[in-house]
Amino acid sequence: MPRTHSTLQSWLSGSIFALTTLIGLAAFLYPFWMPAVAGGELAHSSDSALMLTLLVIACFAVLLVEVQAHAISAKTIALLGVLVALNSILRFAEVAIPGPGGFSPIFPLIILGGYVFGARIGFLLGALTLLVSALITGGVGPWLPYQMLTAGWVGMSAPLARPFVNMVVRALPVRREGAEVVLLAIGGAVWGLVYGAVINIWFWPFVRGNAQMYWEPGISLAETLQRYAVFYAVTSLGWDLLGAAGNGILIVLLGVGVLRILRRFHQRFDFTYSPVPVPAPPRSRQSASQPLEGSA
Amino acid sequence: MSDTRLLHAGAWAAWVGAVLVVVTTTRNPWYLGFTLLWIGVVGWAASYAARATNESTDGSTDDTFSASILSPWRFALVVVPLAALFNALFVHVGSTRLFVLPASIPIIGGPVTLEAIVYGALNGVVLTALFAAFALFNRVTPLRDLIRLAPSAYHPIAVTVAIALTYVPVTLRQARQISEAQALRGNRIKGLRDWVSLFLPLLSSGLERALLLAEAMVARGFASAAQPAGMMAQMTLVLGLVLLLAGWMLRLVWSQPLLGGAIMLGGAVLLVGALWVTGRATVRTVYRPAQWRSREWIVVAAALAAIAIFLVPVPGVDRATLYFTPYPTLGIPDLSLLLGVATWALLAPALVLLTTPPADT
Repeated sequence: MPRTHSTLQSWLSGSIFALTTLIGLAAFLYPFWMPAVAGGELAHSSDSALMLTLLVIACFAVLLVEVQAHAISAKTIALLGVLVALNSILRFAEVAIPGPGGFSPIFPLIILGGYVFGARIGFLLGALTLLVSALITGGVGPWLPYQMLTAGWVGMSAPLARPFVNMVVRALPVRREGAEVVLLAIGGAVWGLVYGAVINIWFWPFVRGNAQMYWEPGISLAETLQRYAVFYAVTSLGWDLLGAAGNGILIVLLGVGVLRILRRFHQRFDFTYSPVPVPAPPRSRQSASQPLEGSA
Repeated sequence: MSDTRLLHAGAWAAWVGAVLVVVTTTRNPWYLGFTLLWIGVVGWAASYAARATNESTDGSTDDTFSASILSPWRFALVVVPLAALFNALFVHVGSTRLFVLPASIPIIGGPVTLEAIVYGALNGVVLTALFAAFALFNRVTPLRDLIRLAPSAYHPIAVTVAIALTYVPVTLRQARQISEAQALRGNRIKGLRDWVSLFLPLLSSGLERALLLAEAMVARGFASAAQPAGMMAQMTLVLGLVLLLAGWMLRLVWSQPLLGGAIMLGGAVLLVGALWVTGRATVRTVYRPAQWRSREWIVVAAALAAIAIFLVPVPGVDRATLYFTPYPTLGIPDLSLLLGVATWALLAPALVLLTTPPADT
C-alpha cells in the first residue's frame, strides 16, 4: 500500500520499533544480563516481577499503536479480520482436541502471512490471533500480553527470511517456491522452540526452588545459562520439540498452496480508490453528494 | 431507560484486577482460601442474578464455544496435584521427610518433603484462583462489551477484532460446506494431507470475502486511520520509551531507585498522554451505551481498596504474613486481621448483585 513517508517520520517509526524490541528483549532476558552489570547486589526482587510486566505491557501498547497507524486501512482491517478468524478456529480446534505436546496449528499462517504481507501485518496477525482465540475459548488471563507480544514477534520476524531465500535461489539450482517453504519451515521449527523458551522466561526468575535449575540474584551469566538450560530441558524441551516439528511439517505441507493464495490476494488487494471529481452539485442537494473518502 | 446489564464490564475488569493483585502478592493459605471462597460466592451470585432477571449473558456464552471453558473444579483437580508433585520431585528442602528417592537419579533424586508438597500445592491454588476469576470474567462479560473497553487509541484494532469475531461462525459454516462438498465427491478427511484440501479452499474463500468486505467498507466511507498518528504523538512515544528505559537502567544498574522511579513515571505519563491524544482523533458513537451506575462505583472502590492494602505498606498491616513459606518446617500460617478483612472487598460484586434490583424500571 503506497503511502508517502517523510524521512523524519520513517526514522521515528524505526526508532519506535528498535526501542520497543530493545526494552522487550531486556525485560525478557533480564536474568541473563543482570548479574553481569550489577555485580550481584539486588534489592528490588520484590518489585521487579510487577515492573517487568508493566514494561512489557508498555512496549506492547506502543508497538501496537505504531503498527496500526501505518498498517491499518479498510483493506487491511478486512484482510486481518478474516485471517485472524480462520486462525482462531485452528486454535479453538486445538483447545477442543489437544494435539501432541506443544503442537499448535496457529503459527504456520502467522509465519506465512507475515512473510507475504510484511512485518506490520505479521505482527498484528500474530498478536490478534492470540487475542481473539483467547476471547472465544475463554482464555483471557495475565499471560495474554506476553503471548500476544511473542506471537507478534513471530509474525514480525517472518520477512527476515526474504534475503535468505534470495541467497539460496542465487546459490543453488532450486525452485524459488521450494526454497521459500524449506526456509520458512526451518524458521517455524526454530520459533517453536524459541516461543516456548521465551514464554517460560517471564516467570522463571521469580520461582524459587532447586538450585540446579532456578535463578538466584548474583550468579554469573554462564551459571544462569546453564541453569536455564537444565530447567528448559527438564520442563519444556520435549513439549516444545513436538511444537517445533508440528510447525515445520505443517509449513511443508501447506506452504506452497498457502503462499500462492496469499500472493494472489496480495496483488488483488493492492488497489487504490481515487474520488472521481464531481461537478459542483446544485445547492439544495449538497449534503447528499459528499465525495467518497478513499483510503489511498 | 435502565440498563439491563447486571454490572458494567469495566467494573468486572476492576474486580479481576484486584483478584490478580491479591493472589499474586501472597502465598498465605488464609488469604488464598478466602479469595477462592469469595470468587465462588461472586460466581454463584452472578448466575443467580442472571437467572432472576431472566437475562442471558449472551456473546460469551455462545453455544458453539461455551463447552470449551473448562470448569475451575476440573482445572483445580489437575493443576493442584500436578504442581505439588512437580515441586516435591524437584525441591528437596524442608525438615519433614516423607521418603527418599535414590540420589542416583539426576535432578529428582533426594528426600521428598511435606513442605515441598505443600508449597507446590499452594502454587497450584494460586493458579486455580487466577483461572477461576478469569473464567468468571469471561462468563459474565459479553464479547462486545469487552471490545468496547479497549481505549479509543486502539479503535482500528477493536474494529478488526470485532470483524474477526463475527467471521468465526461464518468461517466454521464455510468449513462445514467445503467438507460436505468434498464428501460428495468421495473425498473423506482421513490423514494430514486431506486437511490441506479443506484448508486451502477455506483460505481462498475467506480472502474472497475479505475483498468484498473491504470494498463494501470503502464504499460506505470507512477510511480508518488513513492518516498515521501525528508526528508529535510519535515523538512523544519515542521520548516516553527512552525515559522508561533510562529510568529502569538507573534503578537496576546504578541503584538509584527513587530517581529512576521518577523518570520511569515521567515516561509512563508521556506514553499515556500520547495514546490519549491519538485516541481523541477517533470519534465513536455507541448505540445503547452501557451505564455506569452507583453499583459500579461500589465495586471499583472496593477493588481499589483491596489493591491498595495488598500493595502499599500501610501502618498497622503485618505485611510479613503475605510472604508465608512452609520451609523449613511446616506450621500454621499467621493471619493479619486487616489483610484478611481486605479480601472481603472482593465480595463487592456479589453484594451489589444480590441486594439491588438491576432492572428497576
